[in-house]
Amino acid sequence: MDKSLEVLILDDEPIVGKRLKPALAKIGCDVEVFEDPHRAWERLDEKEFDIVVTDIRMEDIDGMQILEHVLENYPRTKVIMITGYAMMNLAREAMEKGAFDFISKPFKPDDLRRVITKAAEALGADVSFEK
Amino acid sequence: MSSIIISIDFSYMGEQIAPKLADALGYQYLGLPFLDDVASDYGVPRDRLVQALNSEAFSWAASRRNSRLQLSFLKAAVWERFLSENIVCEGLAAHLYIREISHVLTVRLLSDPKLVTNRIAAEKVVAPKKARKILEKRVHRRRHWSRRYFGLDDFDPSIYDMVLSLSQIEEDKAVEVIKDMAGYRKFQPMTYSLQCTKDGALAAKIEACLLPENPNIKIQVRDGNVVLKPSSLRGVKGKQAEKLKEMVNKIPGVEYVEVHPGKNFAQRPGHFS
Repeated sequence: MDKSLEVLILDDEPIVGKRLKPALAKIGCDVEVFEDPHRAWERLDEKEFDIVVTDIRMEDIDGMQILEHVLENYPRTKVIMITGYAMMNLAREAMEKGAFDFISKPFKPDDLRRVITKAAEALGADVSFEK
Repeated sequence: MSSIIISIDFSYMGEQIAPKLADALGYQYLGLPFLDDVASDYGVPRDRLVQALNSEAFSWAASRRNSRLQLSFLKAAVWERFLSENIVCEGLAAHLYIREISHVLTVRLLSDPKLVTNRIAAEKVVAPKKARKILEKRVHRRRHWSRRYFGLDDFDPSIYDMVLSLSQIEEDKAVEVIKDMAGYRKFQPMTYSLQCTKDGALAAKIEACLLPENPNIKIQVRDGNVVLKPSSLRGVKGKQAEKLKEMVNKIPGVEYVEVHPGKNFAQRPGHFS
């Protein structure tokens, strides 16, 4: 996989995208950030991303719906769920629905970079955590 | 892959299931022989660990605090082993303290009640009616024991992911069923569950360290950050709080310690009531 990794980040807290975008750009990801799940949904209808990072608890559309929508349309895409309300049952539900990984907030940008690197490996992409 | 905890209601049936399952999956088996390691690591006689695990001995009020201490050593040691994946654990009451870890599948095996009653009747040389009474008493004590030390009812099916009746299913079939279930996506490790395991292991280590002098402290751990909540604020001000912090700070993996007066402890590993 020669092209850079296309990542969509969806979180209604602006600080999340603001912090993660530069952290992921550092390892060669091309990142689009959304705070509004409706706009993210529209974008997902237009484009296939390699990796989608989504918050779970949001107004109107929640992360589980995003997960199902993405996997229905792009089974190859790796979806990483993030939440400040992590509980075992929610984590199991996300995994059952096909999430690639599940991370509880707060987390460090390095934590997500590690998971993105794993997802990239699973996609056969060349992303180095060390970059 | 997920780890598996097997709990058997009475030790008359199904004891070969956990070792067979470990073999079939190529996992490590963690059973009663592990008590030797715990005894040597924590410098306690193995018999005391066995006694602490024995709910039959629960009525000995004088030994309760001691049992709690031995169980804290066991918990810390078992949690430590769960840091590495791929374990089949049985006989160490792990289902009562390795909790809320999504990649750990908890299975309860139910014995055939008739067979259990007959075995008790044969062992004790008593009539079946008397054997049933003995069985009821065992259940009662086990319930008290598990509630007292872990806040859970060992016989409550809702604390398990899966319950299998051995009067309805052969041992080899049970091994197959559990093996299949462990492969289910829900029970696969993820960043969150691995972090919870680390937090739980550290909390158990802290509990084992603090318990001898401070039996009434709740512990919450997240990413090496530790919050201690003593039951009495009056007792931990000033020097005592500093002493607690000093003790906990020496434990590897601890990054920050706070002695906290608040009541809002999240329901995550590391929360011990």
